[in-house]
This record gives sequence, structure tokens and C-alpha cells, in this order.
Amino acid sequence: MTRPGQQPSSGITAAPSGPGGADAVRILAVGSEGGPGFLPGLRAWAAELQVELEWAADLPRATRLLAAGRWDLVFAALGERPDEELAWWTDALRGAPGPPRLVALADRPSMGLALRAEKLGVLDVVALPLRREVFASVLARVRCAATEVALPLPAAAADPVGQYALVGQSPAMLEVYKLMARVAGSTATVLIEGESGTGKEVVARTIHEHGPAARGPFVAVNCAAIPENLLESELFGHEKGAFTGAVARKIGRFEQAGGGTLFLDEVADMSLALQAKILRAVQEREIERVGGGEAIPVTVRLIAATNRDLKEAIAQGRFREDLYYRLAVVTAQLPRLADRGDDLLLLVAHFGRLFGERYGKRIDAISDRALDLLRGHRWVGNVRELRNVIERAVIVAADATLRTEHLPDELRAEDTGADDRPQQGLPALAEVEARHIARVLTHTGGQIGAAAEILGIHRNTLTRKMKEYGL
Amino acid sequence: MRVEQALRLLPDLEALMPLRGLLLASARPDERIQWGSGGPYLTVGKRAVEPGELASRIDQVLAVVSAHVASLYRAYVEALERQEQGDSGSAVTALLSAGRLEERADRAPQAAAWYEVALALAEGLQDRRPEVETLLALGHVYLGTGQYPEGARHYQRALVLAEAEFDQAGAIDASAGLGSVALERGEWGGAQAWYARALRLVEAGGDRLRVGRIEHRLGLLVRRQGDLAAAGDHLRRARECFEELTASREMAEVLDAQGQLDAALGRPSAATAAYREALAWVRRGEERDAGLEVGVRLHLAELFLATGRLLEAEEEMRRAEQLAITSNLTRRLVQIYVLLGKLRGQQADETGFVFFEQAIELCRTLERSPVEEARVYHEYGLFRHRCGGPDEARAHLEHAREIFRSLGVETEVEQVQAEIETLTA
Repeated sequence: MTRPGQQPSSGITAAPSGPGGADAVRILAVGSEGGPGFLPGLRAWAAELQVELEWAADLPRATRLLAAGRWDLVFAALGERPDEELAWWTDALRGAPGPPRLVALADRPSMGLALRAEKLGVLDVVALPLRREVFASVLARVRCAATEVALPLPAAAADPVGQYALVGQSPAMLEVYKLMARVAGSTATVLIEGESGTGKEVVARTIHEHGPAARGPFVAVNCAAIPENLLESELFGHEKGAFTGAVARKIGRFEQAGGGTLFLDEVADMSLALQAKILRAVQEREIERVGGGEAIPVTVRLIAATNRDLKEAIAQGRFREDLYYRLAVVTAQLPRLADRGDDLLLLVAHFGRLFGERYGKRIDAISDRALDLLRGHRWVGNVRELRNVIERAVIVAADATLRTEHLPDELRAEDTGADDRPQQGLPALAEVEARHIARVLTHTGGQIGAAAEILGIHRNTLTRKMKEYGL
Repeated sequence: MRVEQALRLLPDLEALMPLRGLLLASARPDERIQWGSGGPYLTVGKRAVEPGELASRIDQVLAVVSAHVASLYRAYVEALERQEQGDSGSAVTALLSAGRLEERADRAPQAAAWYEVALALAEGLQDRRPEVETLLALGHVYLGTGQYPEGARHYQRALVLAEAEFDQAGAIDASAGLGSVALERGEWGGAQAWYARALRLVEAGGDRLRVGRIEHRLGLLVRRQGDLAAAGDHLRRARECFEELTASREMAEVLDAQGQLDAALGRPSAATAAYREALAWVRRGEERDAGLEVGVRLHLAELFLATGRLLEAEEEMRRAEQLAITSNLTRRLVQIYVLLGKLRGQQADETGFVFFEQAIELCRTLERSPVEEARVYHEYGLFRHRCGGPDEARAHLEHAREIFRSLGVETEVEQVQAEIETLTA
């Protein structure tokens, strides 16, 4: 039998064997054993269902046990501040070996708590007192998840672009490659449009590297990252003493990019005043440093990118139309990851190998369930988000296969486990409404006004419903 | 609207400080920006703020402000009544309670103002214990704000008075306070002597909580001196004291120190386990201490950074950032941005300068702590040096050195000076 402090041979990823076997499911239960209504029969059920069980009476003891060995499940009783405790638990488990899945136990859990738990990747929220059939059902889900099948990752041809690479063979990407080939040879200004994380900078670098200015520098400026009051000096430079903090003369990015390409990322985030100065630089081919009176000629190829609809921004008076037409001599539209079909698998293979090399691991497979989860995800952050997910998965992977347990909580939360979850019937209308509201609030980053607008209801109604559902 | 734009519309008036706090606390990251190429550089200034949400929370903030002000008024009226009754000792107690309320609200200069008034009154009393108590309170505030000479002066006066009055607890706290001032100023020998003296006094009285606290401070001191084995012994003794008293906050603090020690000893797994347990003790406490939690998370992030686990480091920093923003912990936010800047520097990412600029902005507009500002300029200088900006690197380091010099922190002055000389060489 494996005890905390020892390293069990494997966790839930292997099929469970008999009682006390090396592969037995290991459960850590946290809470006062004698507390009112808390897990009265858990010890007996654990023995009956052939799982190992340890108790920790409080959080510090639980943390010590978590650090000392590998656990498959943690049953944690939430106290008076269930939301905070839930967040704490998911965070604490993220750093534990495994990491284990969480089953949260609460007195009369609200719908809001259940939804938040789902978002955090909690396996289940269970009402106290715990019943045997619920315990058995949770256990069945964990055991079922152990039956993942490894699928070999395909070879992914990658065209390296600096520290990045262009990966993909989907029709949508082939169109992008064709456009890049057409514009690279010219010095035309290019506007690259596409959602966040679709690879706008990689495309810009590729155009630069295959263009006439390839020997010159490629200088990228992220207009969304730099504080508004510093962006002008970042782009055009400044003379010493031009403003507080101008401790020395600074050469701006326009000058740095001389003879090469200047890539203005998130160009829609510039103020109108700065847009006017950019327009002048593009038209006159000269700039002035902040605090300097001298006109400095610059020869740069300009590539701009945005994740916003610039035409809509023009209509709203937030973007200069004349600058738009100066930038959009050629326009490239990058596809969303969701529209790239099997590129997803190629990208997983590419990132798996890339990060495998970086972290000294060999990654050559992904489990069927994990791949299903990746395919079904919304990918708001497109390839950038996928890259992040795979990097994290590679870090925590113990062997050459990426599995669901290596994916972030948010993604695992999308695992409905339809085949092993007990049939609970159709959801009530209120539950559907609560879920939808929660989803929209996530989309708006919790901004009630924007969420109310999307939902088509008054913000007061939304506030009332949020209170009602405990969101 | 973005926070940086919203802040520009807010005049720099003290009456509006709670509104500034609300503005930051209600700022939310935009999912679209988070995954955009600007996502890695997202700071509180780039978060979105919704006027409607601000409006809906104004009453809540005003209620907190009003309750705070009402408590201060009541404390003042009580001081007045006691004074009129000829009970000046109780009047001092009432004024001290007002100062403590200000400290709890993270308003150190205002707390110091109350304590100064209390001190003027206490100095006229025959019983000197209220004066000792007031001097200790002032020493504590000045230590916290980095005004070390002031802190030392008040602790020294408290010690002299406490000894004259046979006030054992006062003498212990004053000695420990002097040790902490010396520790912050890098005066290792002085710190060692003061802590040893405090420990001798406290061991005679058998106050386990105070013993634990001094052992903890001694652990920090000898770790900075480089004697890691001795530091481990002190921290172990401190932990034994706190664990038997189930002192959650102190346990969290000492485990945080243990984590730093394990990290220095090259034991990252042990360090991670200590930090995780520290977080569990924070959670176990009566009230969630967000400042302490953010501090532990920052140390965890530093550990990840030092061991090349950059992704986990960034995730931990972002969790700390979220907590610091919602809990209005500006000083911690400054430290988080400095660390994020260091992370980008390690990745040779020049755009990481935005974190230092944000930290400086926060120091200027909200935190107003010279020692924090000096630390930001110090790290900013190192960042610029790493990213190939020698003129700016030198200017930032010189600025940091001057601030440290004005605060009398000689060890930091020497360290920064050595770095400036390296630049010249």
C-alpha cells in the first residue's frame, strides 16, 4: 500500500487494480472528522470500494500530505466562505503532484457555487451529508477517466520565423501563405487583421524575412502594451530632458527600424493625436523626436496589425480614416484556430515537441479524451492560448503522452464525461439561464453593463438575477 | 474605459483616495486583451473600468469610509471627555486607538499624526507607560514606512523609559524594534545584539508568542548574514512556538521565511512545500490577510523565476496581482510589477519596461513610499542594463542610490554604487 511520502507507481491514469494495489485510487479527505454531518460513512465506503483514504483535520495538515505524495482525489468540506475556499483549493491543488481532482462538499451549495466550481475545473460539488451513491458515482468517473487511449502525434512541418514558426496546412492558412508570397517581394504597407493569438506578428516577420528589407531590422511595437503617455516617445524617440524621466536621448522605434520593417501591433489602441503623427510619418517619411525640432528622415516598411474592426472604429470616430487607407494597401485576414480544422493537431504536435525539447521531455502522443477537449474548446486566444495550454501540459506530463489531467482546470471543466456521468435528466430553465448568464459574464470579464447589453436585458434585471442565482 | 485614462480624470486630492482605491479594485481584465499580443504586458492601468459598476459600488465604499471616520471622531471625543475628567492616561489610549484604526486602513502617515498627538499628551504624565506605548507605536509606523532614523529614535526612547519604569514587555518590544530597524538598515551586528537582548528578556518571562517572533526575526537576520544552518535553527524554534499556540498568521510568516531559506539552500521542492503550507495557514486564520498571501505568492513566483519555471512564475504573479488589485494593496502591486519586469528582462523582452513604468506611476500617485520607489528604480536600472540601455540604466541606478542615501540605508547604497561602477567598467 502506498503511503504519503512514498511515490506511488502511477495515479488514476492506469486501470485500477485490487484493494491496496499500487494503482488504487488515493483519496485525501479534509475536514473535521467528527464535524456535524461531515462524511460519516466515508471510511467504510472507501474500504468497500477499494480505495485508499487519508484524513487531514485542517488545511495546513492537508497541505503537508499533498506535498508528501500523489493523490487522485481530494474531498474538501467548504466552510462559511465557500467561494473563497473553492478558489483557494483549486489553486493549492494546481501546485500539488498529480494534480488531484477536487470534490467540494458544502451545506446547501448554491447554483452560483456549482457554476463557479465547474469553471474552476472542480470535479463535483456535493451537498452534505455525503451519500454512498454519490461517492460511488464520483469514483466511477475518476476510474473511467483512467481509460484514455494514446494517439500518436503526427509529424508537423514548421517553417521557422525567428523564435516562432508557421505551422498549418488548412485551406484557410494556404490562402494566407499565398498572400504572403504575393506581398513579400514589394515594399507595400500591409494591414494584418485577425483575432488575438492568430499569429499576426509571425506573419509580419515572415513578410519581412522574405522581402527586400530582409537584411534590415524587424522592430515590433505593441501599441496596446505601452502606456499612452509613453507611446509617442517609444515610437519617435526623445531628446534628453524633454519630459520628467527623459534621462537621456532615446532613439525611437521608427529610427531603430531604419532600412527594415516597423511592425505596429494593436494599432487601433493608439490615441487620435498619435494616429495623426503616425500618418505624418508615413506620408512625409520623416519624424521628429519628442522635445526635438529637427525632422529626421526614415526609410521603413510599415506593417500594422489589429484584432479590432477598424472600419467600425472609423465609424465611431476612434480611428482616422486617412490613416486606415494608408495602412491597408494590402490586407491579410488571419483565420481563427476554430476555422483551421486539423491544423489544431499539427500545432499540438509542434508545440508538444518544442516544449518537450525545452523541458527535457519526449512528447509523442496525446490521449483521445484530451484531444476531444482541445477540439471542443472555444479558443478565445487562438494559437497563443493553445501554445500556453500545451506548454503547461508538457511541464506536468510524467511520460510521453499528454492527457486530460495535464490540461488546465478550465479545459477539464468542459469534459462533460457524458458516457460515465449518471443520467440526471433535463436541466431546469433556471439552470440553463444561470449557465448562460455566467458564460456571458465571463465573456465580458464580469462587466455587468456589457453583459446586460449582450443578454438584451436591463442591468438592474441582470443584477437581480445574479443575486438570485448566487453568481 | 481604461484605468490609466480614468485616473487622469481624477484630481490628486486626499478626499478622493478611497475613490482611487475603488477604481483600481473594480478594474477587470478584458478577455480579448488578455489573449492579445498586449496580454503579457497587461497592468492595472490597461484594465477596463465601467462607470456603471463604479456607481453601483460607491455607496458600499462610502459606508466603509463613513464608518472609519465615525470611529476616528468617536475616539477623539472620548479622548476629549477623558481629558476633561482629568484622566489623561485614558485620553492617550483613545488617541492611540484612533492611530491603530488608521494603520489598519493602511494609512500610516495619518496613524503617525494621531500617535504624535498622543505622545505630546503622554509626555506630561507622571505614569510613563502610556508614553512607552506611544513611542513603540510610532517606532512601528516609521519602521513600516522605511523612515528608519525616526523609527530608531522612537524605539530608543521607548527602551530607556521602559527600563526606568521596569516595564518588561515595553523593553522587549523596544529592543526587538531596534533590532528590526538595524536589520532593515543592514546593520547586522546591531540587529544581532538587539534581538539577543530582547530574547534574553522574553525568555525570562516565558511569553512563547514573543519568543517565537524574535526567533523568527533572528532567523531572517542570520539568513541575510549567510549563516543558513543557524537560520534554519531559529526558524524551527519559532515554528515550534507558533504551532503550539496555533498562531496562524505567525505560522504563515515563519513558513514563508522557511521557504526563502530552502530556496537559498537550493531545495526548491522543500521551498514550494513551505510556501504552500504558509498559504494554508493564511487561509486558516480568522480573517484573510491578503497582504501576507500576496507576499507568499511573490516569494513562490521568485522561486519559479530563479529555477527557470517562467510559465509558473508568471501564473503565480498574475494570481498575486489579481488579489492585490481586489484588496487594494498598492505596495504589493508595485512589487509584483517589478517582478514581472524582471521576468521579462530574463526573457530579454525590452517591452517589459512597461511594468517598471507602471510601478513608478503607482509609487507616485498612490503608494508614496520612497523606499519602494528606490527599489523600483534599482531594478529598472538593472533591467535597462540587461536590455542594452546603458544611459538609462545609469540614470535609474543613480536615482535609486540617492533615494536610499536619503533614507540612510547604507547597504543598499553600497550595492547600487557597486552596480553603477560595474556599468562604468
